[in-house]
Amino acid sequence: MGYAVSEPGTTRAPSALAIKILIAGGFGVGKTTMVGTISEIRPLHTEELLSDRGIGVDDTSGVESKTTTTVALDFGRITIRDGLWLYLFGTPGQDRFWFMWDELALGALGAVVLADTRRLQDCFPAVDYFEQRGIPFVVGVNCFDGARRYEPGKVRRALGLAEHIPIVMCDVRRRASVRDVLTTLVTYAVKGA
Amino acid sequence: MTGEDPGPLIRLYGLTGGRARPQGESFDLVAIVVTVGDLPQPSDLLPEHRAVLSLCRRPTPVADVAAHLRLPINITRVILGDLRRDGLISIERPRPVAQTIDERIYREVLDGLRSL
Repeated sequence: MGYAVSEPGTTRAPSALAIKILIAGGFGVGKTTMVGTISEIRPLHTEELLSDRGIGVDDTSGVESKTTTTVALDFGRITIRDGLWLYLFGTPGQDRFWFMWDELALGALGAVVLADTRRLQDCFPAVDYFEQRGIPFVVGVNCFDGARRYEPGKVRRALGLAEHIPIVMCDVRRRASVRDVLTTLVTYAVKGA
Repeated sequence: MTGEDPGPLIRLYGLTGGRARPQGESFDLVAIVVTVGDLPQPSDLLPEHRAVLSLCRRPTPVADVAAHLRLPINITRVILGDLRRDGLISIERPRPVAQTIDERIYREVLDGLRSL
């Protein structure tokens, strides 16, 4: 076998396709857990080495004195078949890594914004981000033990979400639950409301 | 563990010559990398370069290459940019996501998720 060498100027038919999905939300809301629950591999962990440019720009509370820093990037994979994969990327939770989002979001099919009803405001920035860029997203309300149950309608009002944006109650530790969130997202992103 | 780590930063610097950005056209985290078939490998390749060429005989997304090499994605991209410049690999051009997912792929993805 072997793969044909692509000729300059021609676009080879895609031999493989990796679909990118982002998992966003506030710090500690369960993004990494969600990736780990559904991924066929242990979430792969890679660290991004960053120069000091762009860090601390929006952050007035602390100025980085180091010249380099690292930000962990967790991702998981679901193989649909040979040559067709879903990749789940957990977005960095800290505000100072916002600039990484643009690169992560580019070409993404869509995003899951995880919300914790005890700190609903933590997911506002992610909701704003995807709304402004027109990236399809669903809100997954992670039902933590001991958290008060909220009606989806209340969450929708609190977040100011348009009617067409799906809200899914979920438990990111349960595979079936994560699967439901992802099928909702894929359908919403491909088919629209 | 025995053996002394000379310091990850020194190693990374050696791999990239201190460059932070890859050569040529930019590419996505999940762009598919494929080794260009049947070219003789230059003898002076670094182990990381050889590892990429071996791995990407099967089409492999950039993020998986990084995980396989256990290197940061930035560094992996510089390595991939060099290999592309030398004609040893091809990296898929960015495609609008809407054009990549047709009805058939959508069905495949849904069925695949449901069977998990």
